[in-house]
Amino acid sequence: MVGAAEEAQLNRLESQVDNGGGGAWEYLCLVRKLKARRSEKVLKHGLSILNDPKARSRLGGEEWTLYEQVAIAAMDCQRLDVAKDCIATLSKKFTGSLRVGRLEAMLLEAKGAWADAEKAYARLLEDNPLDQAMHKRKVAMAKAQGNISAAVDFLNKYLEIFMADQDAWRELAEIYVSLQMYKQAAFCYEELILSQPTVPLYHLAYAEVLYTMGGLENLQAAKKYYASTINLTGGKNTRALYGVCLCSVAINQLTKGRNKEEESSELQSLAAEALLKDYKHRAPEKLPLLSTMLKNMKLIS
Amino acid sequence: MAEDLVLDTAIRDWVLVPLSVVMVLIGVLRYFVAKLMRSFQPPDRKALKEGQVVLRARNLKAGANFIPAKSFRVRRFYFTNEENGLLHVPKDQAQNAQAQMFSDPNMAMDMMKKNLSMIIPQTLTFAWVNFFFSGFVAAKIPFPLTQRFRSMLQNGIDLSTVDVSYVSSRSWYFLNLFGLRGLFSLILGEENAQDDTQRMMQMGGFGFDPTKSLSAEKDSLDIVQHEWVLPKMEQRAEEVLRKLVK
Repeated sequence: MVGAAEEAQLNRLESQVDNGGGGAWEYLCLVRKLKARRSEKVLKHGLSILNDPKARSRLGGEEWTLYEQVAIAAMDCQRLDVAKDCIATLSKKFTGSLRVGRLEAMLLEAKGAWADAEKAYARLLEDNPLDQAMHKRKVAMAKAQGNISAAVDFLNKYLEIFMADQDAWRELAEIYVSLQMYKQAAFCYEELILSQPTVPLYHLAYAEVLYTMGGLENLQAAKKYYASTINLTGGKNTRALYGVCLCSVAINQLTKGRNKEEESSELQSLAAEALLKDYKHRAPEKLPLLSTMLKNMKLIS
Repeated sequence: MAEDLVLDTAIRDWVLVPLSVVMVLIGVLRYFVAKLMRSFQPPDRKALKEGQVVLRARNLKAGANFIPAKSFRVRRFYFTNEENGLLHVPKDQAQNAQAQMFSDPNMAMDMMKKNLSMIIPQTLTFAWVNFFFSGFVAAKIPFPLTQRFRSMLQNGIDLSTVDVSYVSSRSWYFLNLFGLRGLFSLILGEENAQDDTQRMMQMGGFGFDPTKSLSAEKDSLDIVQHEWVLPKMEQRAEEVLRKLVK
């Protein structure tokens, strides 16, 4: 994930490079470090460095890293000719390297030659059964082919060994949500909350899964997690505010007002007020819509 | 001893400086030899998994209060149950771990390579220094020292009357051997600096037992008290919103 400060720095550098202000290499380094996906820009600026022999030789050993970066960006932009050239240069320099082998397999993948790519990955995995990137490529490939259940299988197998890999858990959670397997998704989100308890997005996603599952207990838990999202974001997250309102209405409907101790909290009305204030501030033309809806929910009078 | 010993300048030119230069060059040479001999070792599947399990268990311990009680209990059972919990190590296996490590020929080979690259040049240089430069004073440090330093600075000279601030040639060798780490980290880069003292310590304490960290993690996970913090979050969120609405 990219923090706000880093993103601002990245954007600043990008506009500087776009307007011919130099610093292309710094920009590319930053993109690589943040693992940002700006393939078009990377392709453009990376190629301009690679095509300039003087600038290229100034990089020294880093030149090969740039070749790799540009190759991947080119595949992302479907400029397969560029990618092929880069990979050819790399494989001439590093014969039999695992990393170049991976790039070659990725090129096959980009061409859509699934069977060949699969064979290439299988061959590479034979020598290095514990290469994380390769396992992830396999998951991505299964997903690209629309074979979601295979992707889930691969991910589960991967997580059996690399069980502290948060990105894999997040991917699995999103796949489970798309398959409407909410219980499993909830488990994945719990895992994410455990590994990073202060990231509000995980709390929000977990709350949403719980709300979708329904049932009194889940709804109450969902409301709590929406509340903690509000807490972590300082009430700036609109989704969480809506979530609290919807949860409290749903809980009310289920209990039909029997459960009096839950009602003592005024969280939902505060959330509604915060929503109204936010809309007044940022989207006044939609305010009537919101206020009728909240009135229907009996959260404001 | 009132009068000072006069040190021949030839000693500086032919002993002190060459000795230091040779020590530095040998250090650099050894670094490259070690780099050549280093074999690529694919990570062991079991060790890798154990590391990840420990990491995840630690996460569970740290973040326990952020997930509902039921989820926590399920996870704890998954980690610590006595039949097939991830952190549970069967008794007999725990004892075998050490023996296994010794019987692994690859490991022993690696260890030997490492030690050879350390011991051979060290013996050779020591023999060289001993043969050519033993038994005389090579340098003088510019401040007085107490008698305690005699064994450190005047190795190879068995005179109790020489002032302690004189350094014998063999001691100069030892000072270089252990004191060049800073220079190496300048020449070879921060993390590449070879430190003999550290190496020696590693040699003594090899045989780290991964099962121990697993069972330690299990014990600490067993005693975690789960207290869900989310109910408190509702009140805190209320306060946050109240401030916001105002």
